[in-house]
Parts: sequence; structure tokens; C-alpha cells
Amino acid sequence: MTGIVIYPQSALPGSSASLLTALQPAISQRTNVIAQGIQALQNGPLPSSARLDTRPDSTETPIHERLFDALAAAKVLTSRVAMHLTLEWRDKLFRQLDSLHDPEEWEEGDIPVQQASFMTFLKAMVAVNPTRRPGLGLSHAGNLIAAWTIGKDRLTIEFMLHDRVRWVISLHYDDDPVRYAGDVPVSRLNEGLAKHNPELWFHSGSENRQHP
Amino acid sequence: MAERYKRAPITEAVIEIRYAEPAETDLLAKVCADFGTTYPFQHPLVNYDVTVGLPPPNVRGEAVTQINQATGHRLSSVDQAEILLLWPLTFVVSQLAPYPGWDVFFGRFQRDWDTWKRVVGYRKITRIGVRFVNRIDIPQVDRVFEETDYLRVYAKLPGSFGPITGYGVQAQFPPDDEGCRLTLNSGLVPSPLVDYGSVLLDLDIAREISPPQKDEDIFVLLDKIRTKKNAAFEACITDQAREFFRK
Repeated sequence: MTGIVIYPQSALPGSSASLLTALQPAISQRTNVIAQGIQALQNGPLPSSARLDTRPDSTETPIHERLFDALAAAKVLTSRVAMHLTLEWRDKLFRQLDSLHDPEEWEEGDIPVQQASFMTFLKAMVAVNPTRRPGLGLSHAGNLIAAWTIGKDRLTIEFMLHDRVRWVISLHYDDDPVRYAGDVPVSRLNEGLAKHNPELWFHSGSENRQHP
Repeated sequence: MAERYKRAPITEAVIEIRYAEPAETDLLAKVCADFGTTYPFQHPLVNYDVTVGLPPPNVRGEAVTQINQATGHRLSSVDQAEILLLWPLTFVVSQLAPYPGWDVFFGRFQRDWDTWKRVVGYRKITRIGVRFVNRIDIPQVDRVFEETDYLRVYAKLPGSFGPITGYGVQAQFPPDDEGCRLTLNSGLVPSPLVDYGSVLLDLDIAREISPPQKDEDIFVLLDKIRTKKNAAFEACITDQAREFFRK
């Protein structure tokens, strides 16, 4: 047994051609032949890795191209976890993303969904696996925002860069508003919401909610 | 027939045909136009291959630089899961997750191959390959997972080394009775999931020795490669992995 301890940014070792090139003068000809043989075993780049984001993400790029690039990148990212999503949810998610990035409705100055935010969203959704699908929106910074509503009450989660999430729960007790909020790594989202009846928000969604 | 898993770990499936002679730029542009309905999103691609030749030490001479440029096209469906790459020397059909099964994937290949050949015509084929990239997502406990519970391909190391943070396994096998060669790559990759570790299992099976030239022979070969690919995949995973993919 070789238990693997996970560290962020671990990658398949030995995949750097530049490392081989850099070491070439320092190692013997025979070792170079072996190293080149090892490199020859590696399969080539995948079609999906053919770059989509060749256009600079600047305000000078036409808006319809920026929207297309952002949408295409989000859909390719979704394919990375698609085996953990139902087809129905994937299709609904794509319709929501298309709607959020409709060029006809787009306002000058808004930022399309950021890939890092969308990846945080996907991680959270696969971990939480909500049967109640959220409404989606975008922050001014291009972070994805998901909202679950029950009557006048609402759970809102903003998916930030670097795998962080900010959540706010707004409840109403006889029209007396109460708010709870948190800012946690996405891996601790379930833990952060544990005191606030996550089952209700993500799954049952009953109108006869019991306040936490 | 191989089992169809509910949660198949395939992240990308690829069928690639390589040619000896490049297709002309105007033919590539024409075939892209013909694919406009099935692949509404089309982007040009440029591949630069730069070779710099330096004279040996203590020998006078100038560096010789050679730049080869190839222009291709990346075509994709609205949901970005179906990709077609058209290069002068290669025709590539790719499917990202969710994988719809071989029959659907192969049907798309046949449809697109037919369109491609009608425009580009016959050219000598030098390689026919199928590549399936799988990512096995393994639950972690206290940030540790045991890849041996799910995979039968892994790095075998002395226990005294203790836990490892990454590994890579690469293997290539001699051509089989069909003249097909399997190249296997496996190793740790960053997981897109919370509290999971992920291991890549990349299987590439290709025939480079006298690949068939006629469509019906190509299709027969691809079906045989598909059977070999399934057998190789099943040989690489454990029963625990199979159970996980069925859930």
C-alpha cells in the first residue's frame, strides 16, 4: 500500500520537456537517450487542450467574443466533472450560463464569469449535490453567485477565486430580518452551513420551514 | 460487450487519423464551412515548430533556425463537449465528458469522416489511433487515499519511503496481432473535487504499420481497437473502482 498524501498543485512528474532540455548538457549521452525514450512514451497534447483563450481578456476585445470565450471555458470546465452531474442539471446549468451571458442583455463594464470562480462553484456543487437547483447571477468581479429561496428567506453563496466561498443567509422572523454569514474554503462549506439546516435549502425546500 | 458504467471516468475520448500528405489550406477552409451546422463554433489554430541548430563547441558557424508553421481549425458544438480538430496532416474527433457511449461517438466519427473525405479526398493514411483519457476520482480520508484500492497500475516502492505525493507510470507494449501498439500513462493529477484524489489513466492504442486505407477496413480496425481499449481499462482497475463507477 502506498497511501498518497495530497498537496495542492501536484502534477504528473516527468512531464516537463523543458526540464529535460535544461538538464541535457549535464547528463551523459547514454542517459539522454534513456530520458528521450521515456519522453517518447508520453502521449501528445489532447484536442481539448487546443487553446480557446488566445484572445486577450481586455476591454478592447469585442464583447461578444469575450462572452463566447468565458462561456466556452465554463463549459469545458464543466466537462471535467460532468460524470458527477446529471445530464438534466448540466443542461439546465448551461441554459443559465447562456442566459447570464446573453450579448443582448449585457451591460458595458460587466465582467463575464471568471474561470477560477466557476471551478469553485463546480467543486461546491459536486460536494453538496443539491437536488434543488439554485438561481445564478454574477458579481461585478465576475464571480458566480448562487441563490436558494424559500418564501422570503434566502441562502446566497458567492464563489470566489482560490477555492473560497462567502455565504449569507437571510431569514425573517415575523418580518424581523436576521442574517448569518460565513467566509470559508469550499472544502468547509458543508461544515459552515451545518447549523443552518442545509438539507432544507439544498434538498427539501419546504415552505413550512423551521428556523434554525 | 463491455459494461457501460453510470459514472464512467472518461474525461476525453479521441479518434485520430494521420496522413502522409498534407491537405491544402483552401480545402481545410471549405470543409470547415461544410461543418458549420454541426459545429457552430470554429477557431483557427496555428502550430509553430521551431528548430535551432547550433554548431558544435569550438566550431565556427552560425546557428540555423527553421520555423515550420501549420494552420488548423478547432470546431466545437454548442455545449463544447464535441470537438473536431482539422490539421493539414491529422483528422481528430474528440468527445469530452459526459461520454455518450461508443455507438454514439463512433457514429459521429463516421458522419464527420464522410464529410471530410468528400472534400479532402483520398490521402495515404499513416496512423489510426484511439485514445481514452480516464480520471479516477478516489475519496480521501484525512487527506490520504489508497490508489491501490482502485487501480492495478501504480508505482511500486519500498514501504520505507513512506507516503508519496505524486508518481507517474508509463508503459509501451509491442504491436499485437493487429499491429496495434498500446501506450499507457498513469499518474496523480490535481483533483477538481473536494476531498478526493485523482489519478489519470491514459490509454492510447494506435496502428502505424500498414494501417488500412479503405473505410470499411478502417471501421473494422477501430472496432477492434475499441475492444482492446476496454480490455486494457478493465485490466487496470479493481472491483472497488467498478462499484464506484456503477453508483
